[in-house]
Amino acid sequence: MRKLAIVTLVLGLCGGAFYAVSAAEKAAEPAKEAAPKAPVECFESRKGASEITQRDIKPGWPNVKCSPKTGAALWYGDPYDGTVPMGKMPGLENIPEGHAVIKPRTEKLALMPMCGVSCHNGVGPAFNPPTLPKDKKPKPNPTMEAMVPDLANLQHGRGRIWCMDCHHTTKRNMLVDHFGDPVSFDQPQLLCGKCHGDKLRDWRDGIHGKRIGSFASTGKKRWFTCTECHNPHNVQDGARNRGFAQLQPEASPQLPRGMKDASHEKLHPIPH
Amino acid sequence: MLSVSALMGSAALMTMSDDAKASTEWAEHFQKNYRLMTDEEKAEARTRLERRYSSEYGKKVAVDTTGPQPGVLMGYALNVRKCIGCRRCVHACVEENNQSRGTRPGEKIEWIQVLRMERGEFSKDKMNHGYPEGLGIQVGGNAYTPAGQVLEGQYHYNPEAVPEKDATYMPIACMQCEKPPCVKVCPVRTTYREADGPVVIDYNWCIGCKMCMNACPYWARRFNLTKPVLPKEEMNPVTHYLGNRPRMRGVVEKCHWCLQRTRHDRYPACVEVCPVGARKFGNLLDPESEVSKILERKNVFRLKAELNTFPKFFYFYD
Repeated sequence: MRKLAIVTLVLGLCGGAFYAVSAAEKAAEPAKEAAPKAPVECFESRKGASEITQRDIKPGWPNVKCSPKTGAALWYGDPYDGTVPMGKMPGLENIPEGHAVIKPRTEKLALMPMCGVSCHNGVGPAFNPPTLPKDKKPKPNPTMEAMVPDLANLQHGRGRIWCMDCHHTTKRNMLVDHFGDPVSFDQPQLLCGKCHGDKLRDWRDGIHGKRIGSFASTGKKRWFTCTECHNPHNVQDGARNRGFAQLQPEASPQLPRGMKDASHEKLHPIPH
Repeated sequence: MLSVSALMGSAALMTMSDDAKASTEWAEHFQKNYRLMTDEEKAEARTRLERRYSSEYGKKVAVDTTGPQPGVLMGYALNVRKCIGCRRCVHACVEENNQSRGTRPGEKIEWIQVLRMERGEFSKDKMNHGYPEGLGIQVGGNAYTPAGQVLEGQYHYNPEAVPEKDATYMPIACMQCEKPPCVKVCPVRTTYREADGPVVIDYNWCIGCKMCMNACPYWARRFNLTKPVLPKEEMNPVTHYLGNRPRMRGVVEKCHWCLQRTRHDRYPACVEVCPVGARKFGNLLDPESEVSKILERKNVFRLKAELNTFPKFFYFYD
């Protein structure tokens, strides 16, 4: 009888303890959920060109998944998220209306809203009487170089082109084509193709550059425009010299069981 | 007779049971090879799996059984000059295709491998002496000199930033051969070429003999040594029966060109994330598709073309 009482007591105590523990866990859970979630942002092609903020399109289905290691976009839930029609593009007449979309570049360029308003607004001593630049060798402009450091020693064309070859003379929030007509920053291909015609042809056919969405040749695609991948002010850069901007790579694969490192891969059979 | 009826009885009992996993497993044991299933049997298998995965991963999982679309032969092209070795395709593939992503040995499966290849040297003074010796790939000199011998390739490179100046990168995954050696050796014929190109696996019929892994000259196939580790929140609920549905322990898996996407006219996941646009995908039967244009216009090669596997994965350069 006494034994039974002890057993019951022990069981009761255990039960009590268990209840207390589970109650504590329950209390801890909401606290974890309530922690503020920082918005996840990732870059698509190169850093600083086009960032996307992660959000849920529908429950459990994000618009984009970001790499926790490098902050790069890893997976698209909706390839057409935030896109607008590309506009007229010679050579793409076969694509049905609205099947070629882009992400507007204008809203990604921080200086854009100010260009034509703050400085290049046609007001001030330099514009009275209105004058155009006399030659193509601009005086160094510290304000401009401070805002866009790549301009200090512009290497595009290896120093053989200058600002007004690409930017419109009077409309500074526009680019310029061969006829001197303004071109939107959303359609840089119309400008870049002036010199890089072979690349424009390949881009039009989907060989150069990138498109996402439907793979059928007349399907709806989001096209990546030139400046989403290339920085036109920084085409040759230091040690890299040429080629794509350097990125941090994603994690390397798992090592085979028992292997400490991958130094065997770096052994040269013959030193040279 | 008694035993048969007992079996039938227990079968009925199991199928009736509320536990989605148990009833599905029982029915799966009596399921045919996917290619021999009638449309009704496919629909049944699909409902069964949807029920099972939905309860296992706690969300609505769709298992697609869409077949090959008429007039489509899928093809892939990769620009080796453009690839910067960032491995974004590798990880995009894992996000999309529900691979095992544990940390213990054999629990982390990636279908794409990116090989870092050292650039060779071509020096005049080494042109006329020496004999080939050692391992490695000779990219310079002549037949008798080891000049320009480079490493075989590195999988585990991990620099601060890519591309490195003295390296080129070569991603490798399943080549979706027209004459696939893996299909030839499969003793149970569970891996086969679909009519629109990709070589697929019916995971339920796979016995895990790994013959296909030995036969594949491109190191494209992976084996689930352990029970795949796939967290519920990371699982991709849009799946295909022959594609990215969650696999079980003891079966082989590999790239299938994201069937769950491409059967519905969407680019594979690796193509969509490549930051340099080196990866191209399209319909080989459509002369306007980007892959057809590449074959028409660029310098193209197939990896290990001498093996007569006829891959539909082409490497090209500008």
